[in-house]
Amino acid sequence: MKKKVITASLLFLAVFLIIGVWQSLKPEEKVNYSTDIKPILNKHCITCHGGVKKSAGLSFLFKEEAFADTEAGHPAIIPGNAAKSSFIQRLKEKDPELRMPYEKAKLSDNEIDLLTRWVDQGAQWGKHWAYSLPEKVEVPNTTQVAGFSSSNETSFLKNDIDNFILEKLEANNLQPNKPADKEVIIRRLSFDITGVPPSETLFNTWMNGSLPYEAMVDTLLAKKTYGEKWATWWLDLARYADSKGYEKDGSRSIWKYRDWVIKSLNEDMPYDQFTIEQLAGDLLPEPSLDQLIATAFHRNTMNNDEGGTEDEEFRVASVIDRVNTTFEVWQSTTIGCVQCHSHTYDPFKNEEYYKMMAFFNNTMDEDTPDEVPTLKFYTKEQQREVDKINAWVAKYGDAKLAKEYHNFLLYSHPMYQVHRAKNFKNGQLADGKYLALWDNGSCLIEDITTNEAGYMYIKYWSSYNGTKMTIKEDDENGEILSEFTINKSGNKIHKIPFTKLNKKVNLFFEANNDKLPEQANTSSISLFGFIRDIPGKDAPGYEEINATFLTLINTGTTTVPIMVENPEYMQRTTQVFERGNWLMKGDTVQPTTPEILNPWKKEWPKDRLGLAKWMVSKENPLTARTLVNRVWHQIYGYGIVASLEDMGSQSDAPSHPQLLDWLSLRFMNDHNWSIKKLVKDIVLSGTYRQSSISSPALNELDPHNELYARGPRIRLGAEQIRDQALAVSGLLSDKMYGPGVMPHQPFGVWQTVYSGEKWKTSEGEDQYRRGIYTFLKRTSPYPSFITFDAGSREVCTVRRTVTNTPLQALVTLNDPVYLEAAYHLAKYMDTSDQTPNKITIGYKKALYSTIRPSTLQILEELYTDAFTEFNSDAEATKQFLPFEKEPTANIAALTVVANAIMNLDEFLTKS
Amino acid sequence: MNTIEKLIKEKLDREIQTNTRRHFIKNCVTGMGGLALGSIFMGCDPFGKSSAPNLGMNNRSLNPLAPLTPPFNPKAKSVIHIHMAGAPSQLELFDYKPQLTKLHNQACPESFIQGKKFAFIRGTPKLLGQQANFKREGQSGQWVSDYIPHFKKIVDDVAFLKAVHTDQFNHGPAQLFMHTGSPRLGRPSVGSWATYGLGSENQNLPGFVVLTSGGKTPSAGKSVWGSGFLPSVYQGVQCRSKGDPVLYLDDPEGATRDIKKKTIDAINNINKEEYTKYTDPEILARINQYEMAYRMQIAVPEVMNINDEPEHIKEMYGVEPGKESLANNCLLARKLVEDGVRYVQLFDWGWDSHGTGHQTAIDLGFRNKCREMDRPVSALILDLKQRGLLEDTLVVWGGEFGRTPMQENREGKEMAFKGRDHHGDAFTMWMAGGGVKGGVSYGQTDEIGFSPVEGRVSVHDVHATMMHLLGFNHEQFTYDFQGRPFRLTDVEGEVIKEILA
Repeated sequence: MKKKVITASLLFLAVFLIIGVWQSLKPEEKVNYSTDIKPILNKHCITCHGGVKKSAGLSFLFKEEAFADTEAGHPAIIPGNAAKSSFIQRLKEKDPELRMPYEKAKLSDNEIDLLTRWVDQGAQWGKHWAYSLPEKVEVPNTTQVAGFSSSNETSFLKNDIDNFILEKLEANNLQPNKPADKEVIIRRLSFDITGVPPSETLFNTWMNGSLPYEAMVDTLLAKKTYGEKWATWWLDLARYADSKGYEKDGSRSIWKYRDWVIKSLNEDMPYDQFTIEQLAGDLLPEPSLDQLIATAFHRNTMNNDEGGTEDEEFRVASVIDRVNTTFEVWQSTTIGCVQCHSHTYDPFKNEEYYKMMAFFNNTMDEDTPDEVPTLKFYTKEQQREVDKINAWVAKYGDAKLAKEYHNFLLYSHPMYQVHRAKNFKNGQLADGKYLALWDNGSCLIEDITTNEAGYMYIKYWSSYNGTKMTIKEDDENGEILSEFTINKSGNKIHKIPFTKLNKKVNLFFEANNDKLPEQANTSSISLFGFIRDIPGKDAPGYEEINATFLTLINTGTTTVPIMVENPEYMQRTTQVFERGNWLMKGDTVQPTTPEILNPWKKEWPKDRLGLAKWMVSKENPLTARTLVNRVWHQIYGYGIVASLEDMGSQSDAPSHPQLLDWLSLRFMNDHNWSIKKLVKDIVLSGTYRQSSISSPALNELDPHNELYARGPRIRLGAEQIRDQALAVSGLLSDKMYGPGVMPHQPFGVWQTVYSGEKWKTSEGEDQYRRGIYTFLKRTSPYPSFITFDAGSREVCTVRRTVTNTPLQALVTLNDPVYLEAAYHLAKYMDTSDQTPNKITIGYKKALYSTIRPSTLQILEELYTDAFTEFNSDAEATKQFLPFEKEPTANIAALTVVANAIMNLDEFLTKS
Repeated sequence: MNTIEKLIKEKLDREIQTNTRRHFIKNCVTGMGGLALGSIFMGCDPFGKSSAPNLGMNNRSLNPLAPLTPPFNPKAKSVIHIHMAGAPSQLELFDYKPQLTKLHNQACPESFIQGKKFAFIRGTPKLLGQQANFKREGQSGQWVSDYIPHFKKIVDDVAFLKAVHTDQFNHGPAQLFMHTGSPRLGRPSVGSWATYGLGSENQNLPGFVVLTSGGKTPSAGKSVWGSGFLPSVYQGVQCRSKGDPVLYLDDPEGATRDIKKKTIDAINNINKEEYTKYTDPEILARINQYEMAYRMQIAVPEVMNINDEPEHIKEMYGVEPGKESLANNCLLARKLVEDGVRYVQLFDWGWDSHGTGHQTAIDLGFRNKCREMDRPVSALILDLKQRGLLEDTLVVWGGEFGRTPMQENREGKEMAFKGRDHHGDAFTMWMAGGGVKGGVSYGQTDEIGFSPVEGRVSVHDVHATMMHLLGFNHEQFTYDFQGRPFRLTDVEGEVIKEILA
């Protein structure tokens, strides 16, 4: 018995050896790390042996970790020798306690074979595709498919995009669909480019054949509505809103940024410049007002005004959000994970997060309720005064001083926030935000640079007269630097004489006023700052210039919060947060970009400007791909890389990797970062122009239309649905820009804690503006937009998940805005005679296509039923048509029909 | 096969099951927005529990609220979460501390407050003795205060958690944390997770309903019932007691139900033609949604109407029809879960008792709030019980944090009224029904009720327990977003086994 077993085992071993020898002799294909190995490691190994866990001291995340000694005292992978590598041994282990993956199913033979060969071939490490970009991509040679005539009109191949698509279609034994009907394609195109249906004139010119397709595309791209449509997408990424978020969620004036986005897109500002201005407009030489407005991109972070909250905590939260958003928007990378630990799957190290954070950690904003620094917009008259001061300083002072005054007048900074005050005696930071001393109160503010200024600019309000405020150096026995009286005052900047100093000092604030009730605040101070004195003391008009300056810095204007870098003497150091906790600070780090991505060039400054330049360097593998993928998604409802949020080792593989790279290279090199040209490429393709009619078989084979054997068919976005209803009923206003508007919404939707702010319905055409101009309060967005999947923009939204719910039906059936639109469409329908004609023209007006006889019949029946009901009830008719002076059953019934038309799937969908 | 192998095999089988399920939910949800025709005929949801008559109502790609069974045996089918927004004082309700009362008005020992941050307390505050009297109640003999005289009737049904802690001490972030597992905006609420994972038992009503009282919505705004990165269909639907119970629910004035029915029929008939042409499954989904909207227009006002309830029930809750009150909302919560709504979230505003005035004084305004809360909440538990609903309805009660044993001294000043500041280190919550042991108490605080000394549980633990009772393993119930899987409990949370029945 025992002998038999041994014989059998020997035989087994022999067979094994023979197979082994044969295997080792046959010519081997080279295993590719990026396509063969990395996916296996990511799927089966990295959860335990990766960024977070590193079980048994082994990690497959970084090369140096994978080849380092494990807890066993030797490396798990021995390049060139799979048999000796415990990495391979453990995969084949019989004992379930030892076999890897631990407590999971064994890897397949094929997977083990791949890993074994990879180790034997020397275990070459490589980069994931997302982290390197090819220099050139060849367009596949594809011949025209049989079955279609090669005439230009009906041919599928319209531009190079189609070759990539066709190649894959053929590989899947699929054929492209026939082109969409003329009236379908113009509606699709108009929505994709401008977000609204086409004008009647454009529609007619196109239908009568006097306008070639490309000319129509150009016409649409040149429309102002283009910027409004594409800004909606960008503002989701930028987390733009008209309120600050968090508990109080007070209003924020930042609409100038929204307008900047619309204008820049309309001017087709190259995407590299668009990027640089938003990330670092303030650091450009002599930045224009527009370039400063652009930096509001990163002032869209939330601001916490809740009483008792610590400003520093929420300043840090904003900085973290800026890092995360920058990576989500430009790099399709979820860097947020790296805050606490090295990335689980992608090669980003924990420390690298804080090196990135160092780029953003030195702006002046500090989560204060006034949101300073804010850029001021002076009226023409005020601007003349501003110019006078600037001219004066330029004439009598040096260039540096002239710049300081120029900036101070623009955004009243640099100033110090008082929330850094400490050692309070008889006083507190009121509400956690304002320096409030009582009688005989004092506190200390350290490390202040006074710039040799002879004055202090200090912002406060006070309810009492006669407080003596003394500012001393260091402590109560220190030298007196300034003494002044605080009287009753509104919240404004005061100018106080101050001892000139050329060093950093600690300021000891002391307040005395024994006439006050106990524990009453002598004043509430928010900011103070120092700017060198206005030069030209002896010149005539000096006093007046000084007075004008003080008036101007206290002048209220429209504002927009902006990013401004701290002067050198106010710079913060950036430290690693242990396990992501902002209170536990570790090593100090310098601004640096992640190692895995493109190298840093010496000529770039180590600040946000350098970071932006690094981002739009043509060597960056992710910036162009990210943009191209997302623009593609806007049009097709699906990305070439389906996971729009993520291009990395956990992302979906691109459906057409070469097309993605080809489009990216073309976007950067041939189109010089022009988004309009990219959009044009996509919509000129035969792929785009296909009919979206599908079949059960095609739906089953390709449910998401990733192969593009049909055109896109997706539900319109939240704003588009409302804009369209207003447009086809003739109500839509084409007024652009300005503060957010408040169209009608049901009473009681806004219930704001602690604030008197109200939803005040706008008047006149402001009720009918495009959705992009609707005031967006983060804790209570416009209800119908939320119902149709728009977000509340607290954080960067890369994608709106499209849902299909009964609440949406209630909006388009019952929201007064839609009823008003239906009534106006009904009035238009009524200009025709005969009910069938009325319905036909209404349908055409709304849907741009000719009504089917069966549809007409259904709507005629609806008309008749509604007419009969209203005809027998004059009171109901009157109630139903509050907009109409002479309500009739006919108009009421037509309104019902128009409402039905505006609820059709075809109306809500881009076909 | 030896025992170890057997165990491993069983574990693997279980994993395969859960993975498949997870995958399946994801696919179905993607299918809602995308185009998943394949699933229409195969059906995402194999078991047809809902009685809705329409095509594919049990199919997730056509109806994202189709009911699903959870991966593990659920103890609760629905949840009612009663949130006292502003954070009530556990020290006047459930956490009896005679020592604190003895130390009333004495300066708080430095050792307690060293290194602690408070929202409003500054310097050295004084201790504030308990303002209520406590008595042992029920068979379980648990301490309950005389601020809530009705509570003794249900004390044997509830499980107290007396040492819950949160790391947030401002309302907005703490409420977000309590409802979404994160103090920052953007994560789905517990109710959204539940509705996403389980769908709804009633296709004529929203699956996740929110009712507010106290005159204001919670500090953190509507994000506390938002769906975060989950599809918006899973967000809470706020039902209002004034105006339309659901926004845009009412037909326009002058239009009859009959016209609305005919309009929807016409829309759906034309959409069916459209489907024949395009074969886009989204069109079928839309047909379903319009049918459901029509049914909701009837069902929601019905369920929101409390006038027809018998007098003794109205009396029991103390309802005031036509007004917005916690009592009305408690009764509505019962009606909603009775009708198969998955998750009912109540918010009652006005519990932030800082002692800055009469309204917010512990012994005045707060005491009144307690009375207003006591009767309907006790009635709710009794009513659920008498209808046999309590066994599969989980009721959760609490605030976003607790209050300090110290008297508030805002900005270092003495205050005229008795108030307590925000305190997150230890506070009391309770659960009842759906798989929870009655008449127990878990967790203890120190002699003055400041720090936990035993059985400390986190907000994540509370969430893990809720998920467990609904039939989920909170570690496996995830959703992919921004390139990584997210879960309600982030990387934390342990089921509080001590209170499970």
